[in-house]
Amino acid sequence: MNQAAAVKPAFPDSLSLAALAVAGLLCLPLAYVAYMALTANAAIWSRLWTTRIPELLFNTTALALGVAAGTLVLGVSLAWLVARREFPGRQIWEWALVLPLAIPTYVLAYIYSHLLGTGGPVESAWQVLAGPGSHLLSPHSYAGVTLVMTLDTFPFVYLLARAAFLNLNVSYEEVARACGASRAGTLFRITLPLMRPAIVAGLSLVILYVVSDFGAVSLLRYQTLTYAVYQQITGRYDPTAASILSLLLVVVALIFLVAERWFRQRSRFFQTTGRYRAPARRQCGPLAATLATVYTTGVFAASFGVPACMLAMWSVSAVSSGAVDARFFGFVWNSAFLSGLAATCAVLIGLPLAYLASRRPSRVNLLCLQAAYAGYVLPGPVGALALLAIVSHLAPFWYGTAAVLVIAYVVHFLPAGLQSMEPALQQVTPNLEEASRSLGFGTAATLRRVTLPLVQSGFIAAWVLMFLQSMKELPATLLLRPVGFDTLAVRVWLEASEEYYQLAAPSALLIVIITIPAILLLLSKDWRAA
Amino acid sequence: MNQYRFHYFGLAALCIALAIGTVPDAAEPDRLVVYSGRAERLIKPLLDSFQASTGIQVDLLSSGTTEVVNRLQAEGERTPADLLITNDAGSLERARELGLLRPPTAPNNTAAIPAQFRAADNSWIGLSGRFWVVVYNTTLVKPTDLRSLLDLAEPRWKDRIAIPNAGSEYLQAGISVIKTVYGDDRTKRFLDGLKVNAGTQVYGKSSQIVEAVAKGQVALGVVNHYYVYRHLATQPDAPIAVLMPDQHEGGMGAIINVSGAGIVTHARHAESAKRLMNYLVSEEGQKQFSDLNKEYPLHPLVAADPALPPYKTTRVAPVPLTQLGKLREPAMALIEQAGLR
Repeated sequence: MNQAAAVKPAFPDSLSLAALAVAGLLCLPLAYVAYMALTANAAIWSRLWTTRIPELLFNTTALALGVAAGTLVLGVSLAWLVARREFPGRQIWEWALVLPLAIPTYVLAYIYSHLLGTGGPVESAWQVLAGPGSHLLSPHSYAGVTLVMTLDTFPFVYLLARAAFLNLNVSYEEVARACGASRAGTLFRITLPLMRPAIVAGLSLVILYVVSDFGAVSLLRYQTLTYAVYQQITGRYDPTAASILSLLLVVVALIFLVAERWFRQRSRFFQTTGRYRAPARRQCGPLAATLATVYTTGVFAASFGVPACMLAMWSVSAVSSGAVDARFFGFVWNSAFLSGLAATCAVLIGLPLAYLASRRPSRVNLLCLQAAYAGYVLPGPVGALALLAIVSHLAPFWYGTAAVLVIAYVVHFLPAGLQSMEPALQQVTPNLEEASRSLGFGTAATLRRVTLPLVQSGFIAAWVLMFLQSMKELPATLLLRPVGFDTLAVRVWLEASEEYYQLAAPSALLIVIITIPAILLLLSKDWRAA
Repeated sequence: MNQYRFHYFGLAALCIALAIGTVPDAAEPDRLVVYSGRAERLIKPLLDSFQASTGIQVDLLSSGTTEVVNRLQAEGERTPADLLITNDAGSLERARELGLLRPPTAPNNTAAIPAQFRAADNSWIGLSGRFWVVVYNTTLVKPTDLRSLLDLAEPRWKDRIAIPNAGSEYLQAGISVIKTVYGDDRTKRFLDGLKVNAGTQVYGKSSQIVEAVAKGQVALGVVNHYYVYRHLATQPDAPIAVLMPDQHEGGMGAIINVSGAGIVTHARHAESAKRLMNYLVSEEGQKQFSDLNKEYPLHPLVAADPALPPYKTTRVAPVPLTQLGKLREPAMALIEQAGLR
């Protein structure tokens, strides 16, 4: 700490002011929504309470909890299989089970709406077996949406649980076994309780994802707060009701976030030394190996294999009917341009915030960093609603330009980027910067030749992450896109929402293809560590 | 190596410069910006053929009608839009009341469109007509099973109907008409019944309602007529048919609405916008609305698709289109009180 304080500030003090200003701007949308909602006419509040709010709150919470339960079972069981058991193909499944993250929810939703829908292939097959007129679960129901969201988000839990299984100190388990506990008893009484922090972190990611999802719920017509906010913005002249629902949505997201923090504080485990050897993988017998293969194959097929094949097939027929034309490549360029710009701006904005918080952790600087996390609880439609109003008051010349959309992306995705920029900066010891300064480099040269090269990989990871998320973003893009500036995500949604599945496929497939290598790149670091 | 790394910042600066460079330039001559509240595939073919014949480049923003009117209002005099196209006369009236549309200064060939399909001051002109009809699955429902839209609220249709969501301008216009004809109490009861009967079958797009009826997911739906005929044009064997509601003696009559267009007050390419308007109401343009979209052309010399119920013999609800703007807010209040999605 003393060392950090002793270092001359590498940036001039105006930087602190800039950070403060940026943090203020990042918080503005949240503040605006709260202000609009709290100053709204009481009659509108009471109308919403008696008509829409109970249903929306119930639906949103029920979906979040249902998906959390589903991902808990899928994620932990799959992580346990690949981390603790040896069966043919295990190494392939180990990374293949991450691939569902490459499919945006709106893509998986529209594929399942075709597969499970009335007259779709699954129902037709089922009617051959069970007789005409029988129905399986509808994709346009609670169960259907839960299924789709679970298949799309279980890798969050899987990834964190897998890392925890691999990093656990095996001594605890060996002691339990030596004291006579059975294998299953050890798993449920020792291993899983020790993994609680990792599992809770995964589940909180899933829940935030579900609560702020627009793509799947809109295509499957399941009424959540996020979807209702979008409908209010697009279907009403008066934005008051939209801002009331937005505030509720923010509160719901905050409750889940705070609950997760609280839980993590309570169940903090310390490991005095690192694990001294990797946990052994038990060889599966033929029956167990078959079961493991069937299970992993099934989950993989449902969450990635079958959807990817459907997209490929549809794309082929869309291409042969001439759907991939100059216009299509225009959408590709729009997507690349907007996401690239947003990711770059976000890195540039995040740098001073993260730098000040790690080098000069004064209360103000730490607060600025925390403020940047406000975007976490600002789902796409809410951010768009606030920005539309703020921009039309403060910077009307930006209204309807790409700038507003880029701001929306930055506000919404900076938190995710900061999570990889912050540790990157913290890992650089201030001694190196001191040494550079004492050897005669100025502040700018130190930054350029010492700090930036050292944090480069963390910042590239942040850039890639924010690029991907901006490229997949749907609701804010729909609401804020400039004239003639459709992106791939917008095209998928527009075509799919009119059930033109084949026309939607090339854009969807391209998003998936771009996302896969990036996901593998982001994971490779975590992979080596494990 | 180190200099190389610093290039990321150069790249960033370049990106930002590019972004500033792409802000639309106001001075381009042969360009036209259209804000449209209609489904893209219903309007883009017409704009494409206009672009091909005149060489004027048409940039299209296709979104919800209410959304584009909101946007036009927020953008004020900075709007890039030249022409507003919507799927609903009520929204056009609202845009006119807000001063977003400019009345024509000189008479032009939009005069072919009959007076009941245009604003009093001609600031918007109807382009194509549509009826709000019941679409039914022919294997599940007999055409004699109901005769009025209001029958949809009867308990026997519980879980068997599909309706548009509360943001739908068709629904808002429809409820405006029903409220005017039947009064608040009857309309409230109708909305409550509609909400119960539809359950979760509330859709954002009319094409989805037709699809759901064709698959037998529901027995009936309320949509604009042309979604049904467009579906039948691609899938002639689909078990669906149109029931024109409220045609009985003493009945309210079918609810009619128009898609329409108006030149934006702050248009930068008003001349080009006027040319596009003239094209859309010309016989050539009107024929496309009829052939491609299966809508009713409003130009008296252009015939509607013969498969459609003839306009002349259809009993039409007695609420003028120009009233739909004023009726919107009170109708919305009823819809929201009922808690429709």
